[in-house]
Amino acid sequence: MPALENKVMGAKEAIGKFVHDGDHLIIGNYTVGTCVELVFEVIRQGRKGLTLYSQSGVFDVEVLVGGGCVDRLVSTYVYRAGGKQGGSAVERGMKAGTLQMEDYTNFDYNARLVAGMHGFTFMQVLEGVIVTDLFKKRSFLGEDKYRVIQCPYTGKTILTVPAANPDVCIVHVQRADKFGNAQYWGALGSVAAAALASKRIIVSCEEIVEHDIIKSSPHLTIIPAYRTDAVVEIPWGAHPTEVLGYYNIDRPMYAMFFGADATGDGLKAWMDEWVYGCKSRELYIDHYISKFGSAGLNEIKAKAFYSAPANYGSAFTSYWNEEGKARGLDVTLEEMEKLMKERGMFYE
Amino acid sequence: MSKPYNLNELLIIAAAREIHDYENVVLGVGLPTTAGALAKAMHAPHATLMMESGIIDFEPLVPPNHIADAHSCRGFSYATDLFSMFTMTYRGFADVCFLGVAQIDKYGNLNTTVIGDYYKPKIRLAGSGGAADFLSYAKRTILTMRGGEFAEKLDYFTSPGYLEGGDSRDKSGLFPKGTGPSMLLTTKGVFRFDPETKEMYLSEIHPRMSVDKIRQDIPWDLKISPDLKETAPPTDEEIDFIRKFAPTEVVGRELMFELSFNYFLKKAQQQGKA
Repeated sequence: MPALENKVMGAKEAIGKFVHDGDHLIIGNYTVGTCVELVFEVIRQGRKGLTLYSQSGVFDVEVLVGGGCVDRLVSTYVYRAGGKQGGSAVERGMKAGTLQMEDYTNFDYNARLVAGMHGFTFMQVLEGVIVTDLFKKRSFLGEDKYRVIQCPYTGKTILTVPAANPDVCIVHVQRADKFGNAQYWGALGSVAAAALASKRIIVSCEEIVEHDIIKSSPHLTIIPAYRTDAVVEIPWGAHPTEVLGYYNIDRPMYAMFFGADATGDGLKAWMDEWVYGCKSRELYIDHYISKFGSAGLNEIKAKAFYSAPANYGSAFTSYWNEEGKARGLDVTLEEMEKLMKERGMFYE
Repeated sequence: MSKPYNLNELLIIAAAREIHDYENVVLGVGLPTTAGALAKAMHAPHATLMMESGIIDFEPLVPPNHIADAHSCRGFSYATDLFSMFTMTYRGFADVCFLGVAQIDKYGNLNTTVIGDYYKPKIRLAGSGGAADFLSYAKRTILTMRGGEFAEKLDYFTSPGYLEGGDSRDKSGLFPKGTGPSMLLTTKGVFRFDPETKEMYLSEIHPRMSVDKIRQDIPWDLKISPDLKETAPPTDEEIDFIRKFAPTEVVGRELMFELSFNYFLKKAQQQGKA
């Protein structure tokens, strides 16, 4: 991907171009700020046979599995609605034999991505897991879920996980420029690793900002333009989850979702209404307002609490001072060229 | 005469008392965050509160919705990533952490993954998340169990407690010496672990609870502390703090859902919707 190319497009085009049947798809966001609209678009386009990676597979995993997109799941944490009487799409899929899941700890999952993002083939992880069923019970990764080696320096037993390099990452951030420099702040989780380990990256953002804004705050950039394939501007793109600095979680909407998710029929009805029934995020928000009014959305809009600006300034921005002389050399350009000619420094 | 309080408040303060000043504290959502906020406001003002999503040194102003909730505070001191949160734990910088429990055996080994068969679950639970690594490497771990069960044998072994008891955890060579679960807090009492055998015993009992009632939940012959005490009640000051900070934790899930759902409907009706 060339860095300075305008990559702005709609969600439909981005998912259509870069997410394919059978892909290993990773959800970039961890617990917060879920890329909900990109997830919904994957479902609406009917992707099949995905191997899905999600660090904490709560809302995103439930709808993707409920939408029949996923054959295999790699995660550390899934959600189950409604206590003992309830259920989840993951549980229903595993019972029916239509879904296989590979369990890791939070660290082990993240370590696979860190290995992947740096181009390594494996990563050392914390060896305590060896005694547990996380190590002993394996699903589709089999022998390659974990392997044990000996440290060549200390002789110590070392537990390792293989690198993960998913085909495509979908991720929601606060802001990006049109080239795909993506800025994200708050709970960093495994967001950067998930994106950078992947072969293709689709970024959705609350707003597209001028390139100058990015350049004055590079400490917030987690994905550089040269790695990004598509930039999609989607205000409210993570609703009903939250985006720091933009809006809080919509608790009643979230609770209604999990109420519905306790049964397969409930989840289907919810998705018919909110995923298949709303072809874009604008239509989803319109539907929300027509059904519940706008008070709920107004109530969760964030009040600003700005980060102190970091001073990226320096003493000067040109080698030539106000008198037109090179700093520290005390000569003008003409004087410098004259001097060089006198000394016979040119090919003449 | 002190204020009346309920079980939720008793549990929060019992957990908060396990946090000491100047400690690095890894919090989970719900009861632990409220306990952490209470400890910091009352007896541990220099504690560094953190969550595994990489939010370090935060002061929760409202109870977080989950472990990546930076909306619950006004900024924080150090934004790191999840990977580094666990490597700092591995290196011994996490003094105490809190974990929820679905199934626990007598040596404090945990299952939070599945009830029934792993591959064809009866009930598929959340999974490890950070639990297995925290219980392995945090210096102390406080366990909380509100809907879970005691089991002779776990359906799935998610997180390592004292393994087969005695010195088996230390002998495995996989864990720093002295780490492991230090306390289990349930809706009926407080359990701790024998320093030699590492078997869990009942150390405190909540008001209006009896040892017989506690024994009914436990499939082995539970050991009882010779100086079994009643769980210490919260002070008025602590109660005031908890109610202001976390009314949702105080009223409990059922009443919280009822009240918030009614409010949501009322708002919608006022706008002529729904």
